[in-house]
Amino acid sequence: MTAPVHEYIPETTKPFLQEVMERSGQMLTACYQCRRCAAGCTVGDETGCFTPNLLIRTVVLGDRETALNNELVWKCVSCYTCGVRCPNDIQTARITETLKKMAKERHAQPLQPKVAHFHDAFVESSIRWGRVNEMEFMGFYELKNALQEAKVNNYEAIVDELKEQAKLGLAMFKLGRMHFGFQMAKGRKEVKALYKKAKRKRAASSDANA
Amino acid sequence: MEIAYYPGCSLQQSSALYDVQSRRIFEELGVRLMEIEDWSCCGATSAGKVDDFLAVALPARNIGIAEDAGFTEMVIPCSACYSRTLVAQQRMADDTRLKEDINEEIGKKVRGNLKISSILESLLPIVTAKDFKPKVKRQFRELKPVCYYGCMLTRFPYTVPVPDRVENPRGMEQVLDALGIKALDWNYKTYCCGASAAVNDNQTSLSLMSRIMKDAVARGANCFVVTCPMCQMNMDAHQNAFCEKNDIEARLPVYFITELLGAAMGIAPEELQLDRHFIDGAQLLKESEKDERKEK
Repeated sequence: MTAPVHEYIPETTKPFLQEVMERSGQMLTACYQCRRCAAGCTVGDETGCFTPNLLIRTVVLGDRETALNNELVWKCVSCYTCGVRCPNDIQTARITETLKKMAKERHAQPLQPKVAHFHDAFVESSIRWGRVNEMEFMGFYELKNALQEAKVNNYEAIVDELKEQAKLGLAMFKLGRMHFGFQMAKGRKEVKALYKKAKRKRAASSDANA
Repeated sequence: MEIAYYPGCSLQQSSALYDVQSRRIFEELGVRLMEIEDWSCCGATSAGKVDDFLAVALPARNIGIAEDAGFTEMVIPCSACYSRTLVAQQRMADDTRLKEDINEEIGKKVRGNLKISSILESLLPIVTAKDFKPKVKRQFRELKPVCYYGCMLTRFPYTVPVPDRVENPRGMEQVLDALGIKALDWNYKTYCCGASAAVNDNQTSLSLMSRIMKDAVARGANCFVVTCPMCQMNMDAHQNAFCEKNDIEARLPVYFITELLGAAMGIAPEELQLDRHFIDGAQLLKESEKDERKEK
C-alpha cells in the first residue's frame, strides 16, 4: 500500500500551523484558495509559480520543510498587495516575514542568503548607532556575503559582487549622493535596551514552544 | 505654523536632496519643519523581518520624542519611515500591554495622540487652499508625468486608517493639479520596485522596475514623480541597467514631488539640488519652460 501524500501527525502538523498563525497574526485557515493573492503577486513570475495561496496551503498541511524554504519566502518583497486583495484579510507577507524568522531560529540555510544578510546587517547597524549608516551597513552586508561565498571557495562571486557595488558607489559619489559624516543618536542606549528586551522575549517564547 | 519632522536615515545620506527640498518648500509654504531631537532609526522594512517587537519599538521611541516636545502632528516624507511609524502607533493603540512594555525602556513615553502624516497629507490642505495660486510662478505644461506611489503609502502590514485610495491613490495628482501639471493615467502607480531587493536580489528587482518603466513609456510619459526615497533611488540609479537589459530606449527623470513643487514656486534648481539625479532632470524642466515662452 502506498503511503498517503500528507499524513496527519498531530504532534507536528498542529503546532506548526498554530505557531505561524500566532506569530504572524493571520488566520490562515480562512483561506479558500480563490487565488486573488496569486494574481496580484509582484514576484509571481519570479517564484516558479509558488504563489501566496500555495504557501498558505503548505502551512495548513503542516509541511514545515517546504514552508520554511521556498522561493516565495525569500523573494517576497513585502509589497502587501496579496493582503489588500485577500477577501479574508490574510496578509501573506506577514507569513513570509514570520517564516523568515522561524527559518533563522532553526539555523536553516536560506534559499537566498543575501536577503537574510541584508536585513540582519541593517538592523544590527541601526541598533549599534541608533541610526543606520549606509556605507557601514553595506560594508557589513558585503562582509556577510563574502564569508558565505568563501566557505564554498566561490571567490569569483565575491569579486563580481564587489565590482557591482563599487560601480554604483562611484556613480553615487560623483552625484553627491554618498554621505561621509557619521550618523548616530545619543539615545542609542534606549535602542539597545529595546533590542535586549526583544531578545529576552524571543528566548521566552522559544522556551514556551519547546 | 510649526510641525514635527522626522527625516530618517536615508534623508540624511543618499537622499539628502529630499531633506533639503522638503525643508525648503515647507518654508516657502509658511510651515516650519521642526526636526525632532535625537531621533533614531525606524527599523525600516528590515526590523519586521528580524523581530516583531523591535519593529514596533524602534519607531515608538521617535513617537515618544515628538509627543514629549508637545507636537500634535509629525510629517515623515520617507514612505518606509512613515509606514513603520504609523503601524507602530496603531499596534500600540490596539495593545496597551505592548505599549507599556516599550514605555518601560524609553525616557520619553508614548501617549498616543500624535497625528502621523505622509508628505502628501501635509501638503494637500496647503496647496489646494485658495491662497496657494499666487505662489505658483512657473508653469510646466509640457511635463507629462506619471505619479509613482510604490507600496508603502497605501498598503500596510496591519490595519491602519489609509488616507488615500489603496489601489488608485490620487494625492500626488492633486498636488500636481494645483501646479497646473496634468499627470497621465497609468497602471503601475502602486506596483513594487523591489525596494531592498535592488541590493540583495538584483535580477528580481530589475525585472519589476522594467515593467513599471514599460507602462510609463507606453503611456507617453516623460518623467516619474515619487514621494518615496527608495523608489526614487531604485528607478533612477538602476534605470540604465534595466532599460539596457529590456531594450527600452527612453530614459525618464525621477522627480521627488518636492522638486516639482519647488521649481514651480520659482526656487532655483541648484537650491533644490536638481543636479543629483542619475537620469538628468534639469534639462527636461528647462525645456518645458522654453516651450511655454515660444507659445507666448
